[in-house]
Amino acid sequence: MVAPSFIFIGGPMRRAHFKFSWIVPLLLAPQLLVIFIFFYWPSAQAVYWAFTLEQPWGGGNTWVGFDNFKKVLSDPYYWGSVRVSVIYAVATTILAMGMALTLALFVDRQLAGYRVWRVGIIWPYAVAAPAVGLAFQFVFNPGAGIFSYINTIAPGWWDLSKYPWQAVTAIVVAGAWKQIAYSFIFFLAALQSIPRSLTEAAAMDGARPLRRMMDLQLPLLTPTFFFLLVINITDSFTDSFGIVDTLTGGGPFRATDLMVYKIYADGFRGFDYSGAAAQSIILMCLVMALTFVQFRYIERRVHYT
Amino acid sequence: MTQKLAVAALVLAATAGTASAEKIKFEYWYGLTGDLGAVVLETCNRFNASQDLYEAVCVGQDGYEKAVQNTIAAFRAQKHPTLLQSFDAGTADLMLSGEFYPVTQLMADTGVTVDWADYFPGIANYYSSSKGEFFSMPWNSSTPVYYFNKDMFAKAGITEAPITWEGLEAALVKVKESGAACGLAYAPSSWIDLEQFSMAHNIPVASNNNGYDGLDTELLFNTTLHVKHMENIQRWLTDGVATLRTQAAGKTSRDSFVEGECAVFFSSIADHNTIHKLKPAFAWDVQIIPTYEGIERHNTVVGGASLWVLSGKTDDEYKAAANYLAFLATKEEQQFLLENSGYIPVTKSTYEALKAEGFYAKEPFINRDIAMKSLTFTEPGPLTRGIRLGGMIQIRAEWTAEVEAALAGQKTMKEALDTAVSRGNEQLGRFAQTYAGKSFP
Amino acid sequence: MIERTPILNIATHLILAVGLVLILVPIWLAFVAATQTLQAVNSAPVELWPGDQLIPNLKEAWAQSAFGQKFVNSFVVAIGVVVGKLTLACITAFALVFFQFRGRMVIFWAIFITLMLPLEVRIVPTYAVAANALSPFQTIMDWTGISWLINAVSGIEVALEWNLLNSYTGLILPLVATATGTFLYRQFFLTIPDELVEAARMDGAGPLRFLWDILIPLSKTNIAALATIMFVYAWNQYLWPLLVVTDRANYGMVVVQLSDLVPDQLTTGGGTPTWHLAMAATLVVMLPPIAIVILMQRWFVRGLINTDK
Repeated sequence: MVAPSFIFIGGPMRRAHFKFSWIVPLLLAPQLLVIFIFFYWPSAQAVYWAFTLEQPWGGGNTWVGFDNFKKVLSDPYYWGSVRVSVIYAVATTILAMGMALTLALFVDRQLAGYRVWRVGIIWPYAVAAPAVGLAFQFVFNPGAGIFSYINTIAPGWWDLSKYPWQAVTAIVVAGAWKQIAYSFIFFLAALQSIPRSLTEAAAMDGARPLRRMMDLQLPLLTPTFFFLLVINITDSFTDSFGIVDTLTGGGPFRATDLMVYKIYADGFRGFDYSGAAAQSIILMCLVMALTFVQFRYIERRVHYT
Repeated sequence: MTQKLAVAALVLAATAGTASAEKIKFEYWYGLTGDLGAVVLETCNRFNASQDLYEAVCVGQDGYEKAVQNTIAAFRAQKHPTLLQSFDAGTADLMLSGEFYPVTQLMADTGVTVDWADYFPGIANYYSSSKGEFFSMPWNSSTPVYYFNKDMFAKAGITEAPITWEGLEAALVKVKESGAACGLAYAPSSWIDLEQFSMAHNIPVASNNNGYDGLDTELLFNTTLHVKHMENIQRWLTDGVATLRTQAAGKTSRDSFVEGECAVFFSSIADHNTIHKLKPAFAWDVQIIPTYEGIERHNTVVGGASLWVLSGKTDDEYKAAANYLAFLATKEEQQFLLENSGYIPVTKSTYEALKAEGFYAKEPFINRDIAMKSLTFTEPGPLTRGIRLGGMIQIRAEWTAEVEAALAGQKTMKEALDTAVSRGNEQLGRFAQTYAGKSFP
Repeated sequence: MIERTPILNIATHLILAVGLVLILVPIWLAFVAATQTLQAVNSAPVELWPGDQLIPNLKEAWAQSAFGQKFVNSFVVAIGVVVGKLTLACITAFALVFFQFRGRMVIFWAIFITLMLPLEVRIVPTYAVAANALSPFQTIMDWTGISWLINAVSGIEVALEWNLLNSYTGLILPLVATATGTFLYRQFFLTIPDELVEAARMDGAGPLRFLWDILIPLSKTNIAALATIMFVYAWNQYLWPLLVVTDRANYGMVVVQLSDLVPDQLTTGGGTPTWHLAMAATLVVMLPPIAIVILMQRWFVRGLINTDK
């Protein structure tokens, strides 16, 4: 795979392609139009707010330049929030993808009854958010949940109001759980599109199932793996509000105050649109930087063809 | 083609014709959910059935926060509802924006009569301007009380529920000595521990008479009796007469009370109804929140939400909304709300009438009006009218996070409250800068 | 497979069983909650076995919610999102992968960035667009003086308006405007061997014929996976529908209705914690997405065409 040097990120290139024609703008136009109207236009407004103090009910604003950014970045608690967000994103991604990949590889062996496993693993994805939140309260609740049984052996050991690491663990597990089915579906779809002839040929050559997984299936999964990696990391930065809100409320003492939760709490709850906009931009830059790194350094290892 | 167009125009005209003969509609976005949301919807149905001029279109917005947030979004696109149910902490911005129609004026303009003098002063003051004009219509109102397990108190030899903190501490010690697992189920709540506590003790939460007199306000709660109170709570938690009971600690204080684990917990009077529904297996009762000995007790203030009329709607919609609000203020409708929730009456005449009818003499309403005693203990003064601070939601969050840190032993209570104050002051500074040159009406 | 691997097979079932149990524990607890009385659901410790209240709870939840028409709406919206997203994502990714032109990467990233700012953060300005989807163009025309020009020349006052509130379009379009699908298709299209493209060109097939006859049949499993995910994603949306639909009787969605049943938790709220009803309603609400998941299984079949030469 030769990546032409002029592309600013070493994205893979096809050697064979069609000639550019009028079809291309036609193909691109719908998506670009939709994101322009529903994403860029509104977002531009939010970006403007980051440099002002915006009155929520309209009525004008004052230009304050980079004050909102300065205020956020000089707040020691904010850096704590950045730290725990990164930990959360990395941990949930590893946990969710690891579990999903393992399950997908084994379901893909298509032993008797694999359809049952397949449905069983996918359908939790269909559960609506309020139920998920409550369910995890039932799991982690130190006084009444599944984990309370630990406390009958070692009283007071599990207490989400006291131990930050436990609170972080709780949101990581719940966050990963939410992502497992998602990753599982795509891993399974990718595994299923590996032609049977290929695995059979490998089997004839004497490769045992586990070896085939390592040497044949995993490399062929890398494009999907890369997709899920980027999506999972992005998602765990931008879509973790519900879990934090129902499980820990950002506590104990801000230990689980994820960046996106803080944005919601300040902007959505507290009507500080400008502060929230500044934080959103910081979050966006961070996620973009991480995505850039992934495209730059991880995509190199992806086997496309 | 032209024919088709003409037909379409005709149909349009026809529908427009029938529409004018139909009821005048107005939209109402409310925050309450669950069984309380169902109550709101029912009031709308009752209103719509009660007359045939107006129709309330009531839309649940899944919580106060989302209701306000969504209304702002809609307001900025001029697609907002006529009525909004908003909680107190979310209204500082609305007040300063001036984008609301004060209900006193609305009623005067639309010729609908409401007896404003009939409202309890503790409620009226909270929702009015300095000129005594109601901003918004009080509806679902509450105030904090404490709930106690009568059986556990009796076992410990306590005959009367104390109304001082010293008395309550002594009672909790006795309860513990009588073999109970837990005295007070404590959950940090800035609404109760800070705001209502300060009201009852007539001490300031913030300068400028709790923010009423200007935007250049600073928080003062790290300099008042509040500090000693929080240190006492911390001491009770260490001594074991109180136990931390929050969702994160394993069980909410209410659950722990209902199960009969803890003898006492603090909450809104609105929970009175909830606890009845949860059917605890013991006798229980409520008492007003305590004050410290040697302090002259003052009134607490109203909590809950009120109904705001927003600007930019038509006269017809305003007239419809005014009629709905007047409908809610009638004795029958207040009683309907009271019977289906734990809220309290908002007008004196309704309260007196209900009392005379024996409403509060039968279960599940017995003693629920203890809240009225707390709310009307004194006439509201400059420090007990309420609190008017921008960024109140963040200030509450700072208080909670810092108190949690102190309770977990990360810092002393004083340090925690100092930090909460200085961070809260930054919020107030931002708010003042955002609304430079404006003041609360 | 013809080979015999008894130990590995047992291990496979074991691993899957353990994984499934871990995944199902939270759902089981939610289900158990739906079968209990108000008192039981709020008592500690949490019940592990179902009670006998499932039917009464389902009945009460159903009676409180008027789900009927809302199921239809949720279906329309979810199908709309699935179709819209599959189509848009596919043609966009196709243009980005199989053509070479300046600005290719810029466009890819422009689409990609939309993943990084959640809707909740930009909800206020996004609502303004939903209230009038043509407002960006109006503003641009006003700024650039085009409106003035048109007005001066023709005397027509330019006032573009397209209100999407309380409509299926308003519910669907903003949910279609994200990059997940485009990215997934790109990943898949990149695995298509160059030889296949060359062969198509040799046969004189145009790009659209290549897309339709070769690429789409090859992407079947990926499409099935994306469709499943998108259906559930759209079905479970609630913040956006909550906001743009005030005409709940005609355009309300089930999950919004469900959130109405979830009890209030604010300090001063005092709502009854009727979690048993909320969970019972959840069971009802998630039936269609589960049916879709099971239905979509049919398309999760091993690829028949050998894409690797």
